[in-house]
Amino acid sequence: MDTAKWAKRSASILGLLGVWFVVGALGPQTLPGPAAVAGAFVGYVGSPVYWNAITLSTLRVLGAFTIAALIGVPLGLLIGWSVVFGDFTYPALELVRPIPPIAWIPFTILVLPSLAFSLGIASFEIDTGIVFITFLGAFFPILLNAIAGVRSIDDEYSRAAQSLGAADWQTFRHVIYPGALPSVHTGMVVGMGLAWVNLVAAEMISGGGLGFMTWSAYTGGSYPVIFVGMITIGILGYVSSTIVRYIGASQLPWMEGSTA
Amino acid sequence: MSKQESNPERRSQNRNQDTNGYEDMENGHRDLDEDDGRARATGEALVEIDDLTKIYDPDGAHVTAVENMDLEIGDNEFVCVLGPSGCGKSTVMECIAGYLEPTEGEVLINGDPVDGPDPSRGVVFQSNRLFPWKTIGQNARFGPQMRNAVDDDRIRELLEETGLSGFEDSYPHELSGGMQQRAELVRLLANDPDIMLMDEPFSGLDAMTKELMQEMLLDIWEEEDRTVLFITHDVAEAIFLADRVVVMTARPGQIKDVIDVDIDRPRDSSVLTSEAFNEYQKRANELIHDEAERAMEQKQQETQEA
Repeated sequence: MDTAKWAKRSASILGLLGVWFVVGALGPQTLPGPAAVAGAFVGYVGSPVYWNAITLSTLRVLGAFTIAALIGVPLGLLIGWSVVFGDFTYPALELVRPIPPIAWIPFTILVLPSLAFSLGIASFEIDTGIVFITFLGAFFPILLNAIAGVRSIDDEYSRAAQSLGAADWQTFRHVIYPGALPSVHTGMVVGMGLAWVNLVAAEMISGGGLGFMTWSAYTGGSYPVIFVGMITIGILGYVSSTIVRYIGASQLPWMEGSTA
Repeated sequence: MSKQESNPERRSQNRNQDTNGYEDMENGHRDLDEDDGRARATGEALVEIDDLTKIYDPDGAHVTAVENMDLEIGDNEFVCVLGPSGCGKSTVMECIAGYLEPTEGEVLINGDPVDGPDPSRGVVFQSNRLFPWKTIGQNARFGPQMRNAVDDDRIRELLEETGLSGFEDSYPHELSGGMQQRAELVRLLANDPDIMLMDEPFSGLDAMTKELMQEMLLDIWEEEDRTVLFITHDVAEAIFLADRVVVMTARPGQIKDVIDVDIDRPRDSSVLTSEAFNEYQKRANELIHDEAERAMEQKQQETQEA
């Protein structure tokens, strides 16, 4: 990327800081300015509380995103490919999809347990409710984009494969799957972003991680820490979406301009 | 499909078993009858189109694309179907390819009703349908790969003949239109089909490239015995390529006339300026002119209704 592009992108972030600085100086007393937040950041970077929250939230997102991809991609490809399979599954999924993450929280607290187990030296505790809500955020964009990806493939590619002797499963393997990948990739980038959105909502109420850290900073009155939490979530969301984008692009060498 | 089941005798009479089905492919090979006597113009019908009618009925619109069409295509014959746009000529090809089931009548290959797509009937589409996610080499290998019978020497030879050596690792979008079309031809030939169904394959190419592609196609056809059904709306192209030109009417598509093109082979572009060629072209033009007008009126009417 050239320097001009970097300059423009840096200006975008500096502009945001500028707005914040002005609003902080003129606005309500409760809004900390960039300087106060920077101070809180310095304090937190040295603290294990901060890094534990980051680790926990990241692991939750990673786990939930992986499960969402493992279920959403094959399910979406099948729904897009087979009308019958779609008729059996899609209406139920569409009914569940509009339910916002917050509305799931009471259900998850009642039904989904917190699992504790240990692997040799380390012991873990997995709050399956939070992972489930995070999963929902990633799952639907991945699912819908996989379906759309299959449906966007021109029929003539499948016909060409059949006329070259491909059996149904070979057509799926060589036409449907690779043809849908660009759209699946888009779904994953969007899904990664929404995984973070849902994670933070769930953590604020159910506990642990960056969401809880941010929320307890509010209830405890240490307002600059709220912004430490928010900025950290923003950076992690951005970084993880970018990683997904680059990994995806590396899998799609045949796309025009896929390296951008 | 039901027709085939109800007709077991015909199936058992089939003299050329290699044209049907996946069962042979699953064994990793296809029996190509070497002793079938596939000499040029044997006069035997390889493809029989018998009273074919195809009606499309989306939401009760009831469009008759093809009506009561009869046509026989001989072994190793090169037949062009010439017609105005929207006359149902692609529908005929899609019925032979096995993508569509006829509303009435049937298509027989060696006396056997068509039952879905089959590698013995290769197809080239109007828009290039190389798999964009596969390299040229992977595309070329695709057919044989499906039955684990890739012959690398043959692929290399085909790529060389078509000037595509060195592009094995390129993706389709990195190639020019003409090269893509050649690559699609290679993909088809690597699969060694008995019948090549080509639906206006060169219509997207510039005039120079088109002429070169036509010559290349004729070379390939002369070299190896194959039957070609080539669909086009280009009069000169049809006469240059074909043994017989089947001129179709506007919708509902019927055969208006058949022109036997008696120009010596092998042909090259010098044919295009010969007197005989001009005569044929004149005749075909006269035949197709009214039909093209009617097709245009139909199109206009439809647009107004919609």
